Amino acid sequence: MAVTVEQQAPFVVLDSADSIVGVGPGAESQFGPLLGSVMWDCFPGSEQVFKPYYDEARRTREPVEFVQFHDGNIARVRAVPRTDDRLELYWEVIIRLDTLTLDALIETLDRALALLDQMPSAYRDGVRKALHLIEGGA
Amino acid sequence: MNSSAIAALRTATDTYVVLDDDDRVVSVSPRLRHDLGHWLGHVLWDHLPAAREIYEPCFQQARASGQPAQSVVFYSGRVKRLTAIPAADGLAVHIERLAELDVTTLGTLTRSLERVEAALAGRAPGQPDPRSPASLRALP
Repeated sequence: MAVTVEQQAPFVVLDSADSIVGVGPGAESQFGPLLGSVMWDCFPGSEQVFKPYYDEARRTREPVEFVQFHDGNIARVRAVPRTDDRLELYWEVIIRLDTLTLDALIETLDRALALLDQMPSAYRDGVRKALHLIEGGA
Repeated sequence: MNSSAIAALRTATDTYVVLDDDDRVVSVSPRLRHDLGHWLGHVLWDHLPAAREIYEPCFQQARASGQPAQSVVFYSGRVKRLTAIPAADGLAVHIERLAELDVTTLGTLTRSLERVEAALAGRAPGQPDPRSPASLRALP
């Protein structure tokens, strides 16, 4: 992967209550109107898959990087705790599932698995295993 | 024609579009006019990218036989039952949604794929598929 998540501008900054208190360059159109809102209220279903990692970053005071699936996207996310109890989130979409046709869905599942195989296993194995099983049934 | 086809045709009486021989939309039923009225005069495929190869066999069957035809297909994240009814003034097409992919999380994707699989196979969701192992159900 040519560009690391760390090299990208932060997409959003959360406060300790997971409200969006900052929006980085390139994310204004999506997150700008959401400033002041609680992240989980804006993206239903996202709390259960993202919050455990954010909590870990806050608890350990160390950056946490992981791969997660949400809303049809597979993304690499890096959560970096700041000294002011805020959390910076860097976000890189790896692939979006194409659900237009069954062929397109299977093709993007194949590509997703191939891309995940190129990543360090420590933070992509859960998604990879699930997608592999899904692909077997698709 | 089986009972599901008859039921679909009954529903089709109020939600349908009519196509001419070139698949141009020449009529939209009153209940669909708000959503699809702007399709009038347009070729159906201009609004449904990559749908032609999926929908057209059902349309061709109806036109060739002069009889209503049905097909269950996957398109745009949904499983749909197509009903095509040939008539003197065109081909009436009704599309009923049977199941939908939910890509919110891996869990919803997995569960909705089960429903999609079942709908495509004509099974009730949760009913075992004798053709394949229960790979999807292996997920937590």
